[in-house]
Amino acid sequence: MCGIAGIHAYLDVAPPVDRGELLRMTERMAARGPDGSGMWFTDDRRVGFGHRRLAIIDLSEGGAQPMQADDGRLSITFNGEIYNYRELRVELQAKGRVFKSESDTEVLLQLYAEHGAGMVSRLRGMFAFGLWDARKRTLLLARDPLGIKPLYWADDGWTVRFASQAKALLAGGAVPRDPDPAGIVGFHLLGSVPEPFTVWRSVHALPAGTTLTIDATGPHEPVRYYDVASALAERSASGRHDPAGARSRLASALHDSVRHHLVADVPVAVFLSAGLDSGALLGTMADLGARNVSAVTLAFAEFKGLPLDEAPLAAEVAARYGARHVIRTVDRAEFENDLPALLDAMDLPTIDGINTWFVAKAAREAGIKVALSGLGADECFGGYPSFKDVPRSVHWLRQLSWVPGLGALVRRGLSGAIAAGLGLHPKAAGILQYGGSWAGAYLLRRSVYMPWELDELLEPSVVEEGLRRLAPLSRIAAALQAGTPLGDFDRVATLETSLYMRNQLLRDADWAGMAQSVEIRVPYVDPFFLAALPPGDVLAALGAKDAVAEAPTTPLPDSIRYRRKTGFSTPVGRWLRETAGESTPQSIDFSVASRTWAQSVWRAGWLGPTAA
Amino acid sequence: MASRILALVGDCYGARGGIARYNQDLFESLADGDVEILILPRLGDATGLALPRGIRQAAAIFNRLGFSIAAFVAAWRFRPVDVVFCGHVFMAPLAFAIARLLGARYWVQTHGTEVWNDQRNLTRRLIEAADMVSTVSRETRRILLTWVDLPADRVRVLPDTVQDVFTPGPPRPGFRESLDLGPGPVLLTVARLSASERYKGHEPVFSVLQALREQFPDLTHVVAGDGDDRARLEAVAAKLAPGAVKFLGYVPDADLPDLYRTADLYVMPSTDEGFGIVYLEAAACGLRVVGGRGGGTADAIPDERVGAIVDPADRKALLSTIVGLLGQGRADPTAVEPYRRLHFAAAARALYARLVAQPRRKKSGI
Repeated sequence: MCGIAGIHAYLDVAPPVDRGELLRMTERMAARGPDGSGMWFTDDRRVGFGHRRLAIIDLSEGGAQPMQADDGRLSITFNGEIYNYRELRVELQAKGRVFKSESDTEVLLQLYAEHGAGMVSRLRGMFAFGLWDARKRTLLLARDPLGIKPLYWADDGWTVRFASQAKALLAGGAVPRDPDPAGIVGFHLLGSVPEPFTVWRSVHALPAGTTLTIDATGPHEPVRYYDVASALAERSASGRHDPAGARSRLASALHDSVRHHLVADVPVAVFLSAGLDSGALLGTMADLGARNVSAVTLAFAEFKGLPLDEAPLAAEVAARYGARHVIRTVDRAEFENDLPALLDAMDLPTIDGINTWFVAKAAREAGIKVALSGLGADECFGGYPSFKDVPRSVHWLRQLSWVPGLGALVRRGLSGAIAAGLGLHPKAAGILQYGGSWAGAYLLRRSVYMPWELDELLEPSVVEEGLRRLAPLSRIAAALQAGTPLGDFDRVATLETSLYMRNQLLRDADWAGMAQSVEIRVPYVDPFFLAALPPGDVLAALGAKDAVAEAPTTPLPDSIRYRRKTGFSTPVGRWLRETAGESTPQSIDFSVASRTWAQSVWRAGWLGPTAA
Repeated sequence: MASRILALVGDCYGARGGIARYNQDLFESLADGDVEILILPRLGDATGLALPRGIRQAAAIFNRLGFSIAAFVAAWRFRPVDVVFCGHVFMAPLAFAIARLLGARYWVQTHGTEVWNDQRNLTRRLIEAADMVSTVSRETRRILLTWVDLPADRVRVLPDTVQDVFTPGPPRPGFRESLDLGPGPVLLTVARLSASERYKGHEPVFSVLQALREQFPDLTHVVAGDGDDRARLEAVAAKLAPGAVKFLGYVPDADLPDLYRTADLYVMPSTDEGFGIVYLEAAACGLRVVGGRGGGTADAIPDERVGAIVDPADRKALLSTIVGLLGQGRADPTAVEPYRRLHFAAAARALYARLVAQPRRKKSGI
């Protein structure tokens, strides 16, 4: 896990790559790679790669990057881990390919030499890389199928630049900071910026599951090699709808995924909450023979004695599987102290990531370099309320939504009533207008603000242009395009996986983890794991969460299994109100907290000259 | 069978100006690569001109309706057409309609102010419908992408190219004398003197001439070009720097290399150049250049080997930059090499190959 950057001056008139710019880009990502750094340039200076290394596999200099192969024809700068690199290495050696190191990076180079850009579909892992092919004079950028590792790029028409962080591109000094209304509106709507947008017009996120080739004419259209909807449709068509054996298939898939995610030359820990997902990871690690595993749990002083306090139950799970348990308590003072650094590390505005910041900080303090996280399980197993709410909303309201103008009329009426003190959440006004379509119901479920509320937060011209460019409903609906119709469970799983998880959870896990130089691995976020699971309708009927609890040979304790789901919460809303001198309600209203936090994050100043 | 382009342009052969020159360079580069091109201009008379192989130019029709009807007729006769090239956004509705009628790819070329200033909704949608948009400078591309919703990969930059006649060396014998210039250093500006193009920066230069003459008493500012703003500029020059500015009027293309070679510094602190090919032509002749901040100037003055870019409103900076560059002698003409025709032609052909490799678009797109 590392930080990568690169510059390719593809047009003849473009000045050669500026070493200083590349250095500024990589230095902005110093925390991503404290174990080493490297730079590489072609002889003609048309291409330059930078790298910051967090050494996890092949700790020797043999794994240093940027790395070359094929007599210097191929060069790579790579961020991530390839969990099946040993299998691929054996396969390539059988074809006569000779390796100089034990690293997964070299496997990428040799695999490209064998298969070209199509090699990405052979990879099991999380990755983002830039690969220069000197013979073809092409630069290949690639990102893993589900978007675990980020990759941003900018093209000025002469030169293309890429980096693991959007802010690193800006730090180089050559990328303009024109605001992008689509990204700004996206953040205010959803609490995170949907790819491929950022809040800067010139900086693009390479979409998950795509590759991008740059030749002498510049970047081509990104090529998609994986999408969630098609993968789930294919799984559904696999014919494994027999519920018998579904639990064992699930357990087997989890064991296989965790086994792959334990590949490392340093100890692998786990982030442990009081939920089923991380507990099942720990239990599975124990099944696979992992000993003395460190398990890190985050606790908040405000939650002590409340059901929200995860520490007591997590301690029970840790003890059950013989883990070394680290409980880290965070209070308001530490939050306020860390806030400037946290906002600086936050690569794009987001309403989440605080918990990851602190749990990763705790891991670093405990000497941990790699940790597994239960992120992604709710998307696989239907753990969110959206799995019930969204289909119900669509089925109930679909026909009403066909009445022209009715939804908007009701929304305007309800908005007025809510503003007058009706006691409903402001979003509730949109139930009829949005709730009858999959995209609308999902937007309503996941949004921080709804489109009609944005004019109170942003300039109307920004809202208008942003909504036009973002086209939120079309964008959400596009995620569901799979060629064959999906079932209700798979529809929501697709939306949560390819929108919320990708743009919010995974991005936050990356910046917040890497800011602490901790690699976060996510065994539930793995196309091979997804494909091995039973189809969505079987998972829905199975009560997959319960099956997860039984996946380890020693199942999770009943206290965890029958605990009411709370989500992983932080008292940030309360802290912010206290900091602002406002009164604090006895109960914690998380919806209001996310709106308060969203405003605080946005006010941190994303468009000014100091943003990077 | 050769690939076919139907080109709707404002002007090309038989016309003067940067855009006409650019179109000629582009079409000749593509025709070299086995492409057949039919040019439909609104201005310019190519009668009697020997056009390169593969290129034909129809008679110019200025009237919009007449041009549109003639374009449809010519397009139908020219089938099968692979690409419809739109040389100016004001022709985009016609180019778009013909491209869709013929099932051809639709290529929009932009130069500068026409897409900086015309940001109407229809224009935006017609640009967004393009299979490829090319711009002459990075700045034009950047501005375009702030208001047009196109994927970044679909907007490519193809910078202007410098003609081979622009090379360093002494002017032809007697040329300098024919201009009746004094013995002192010569600042040169070559630009249209148009009331609509006052961003060229003549007046800021006039305003520092007196100060310059304190250091270089025989310094002359030579202004080449003509236009409807000439009388006003002459009056301003007479007031701000009496006797220091020499207006040459229109200078034939054939004389430009010698004019550059005669001068000591090219000064045009223009703030709105789409690209600024004159900077490169001057630099190719060995002149250092002073350009203005804004527009596409940065693309034509890539580094200090060619010259410097200043804010013309900052008179002190303008003055010190001129003085500094006058002391540095001639520019390094190798800095201009990437802008030569060889590179331009290769880039143009690669871009065209990329365009025709795309499948034809069936949907209307707007």
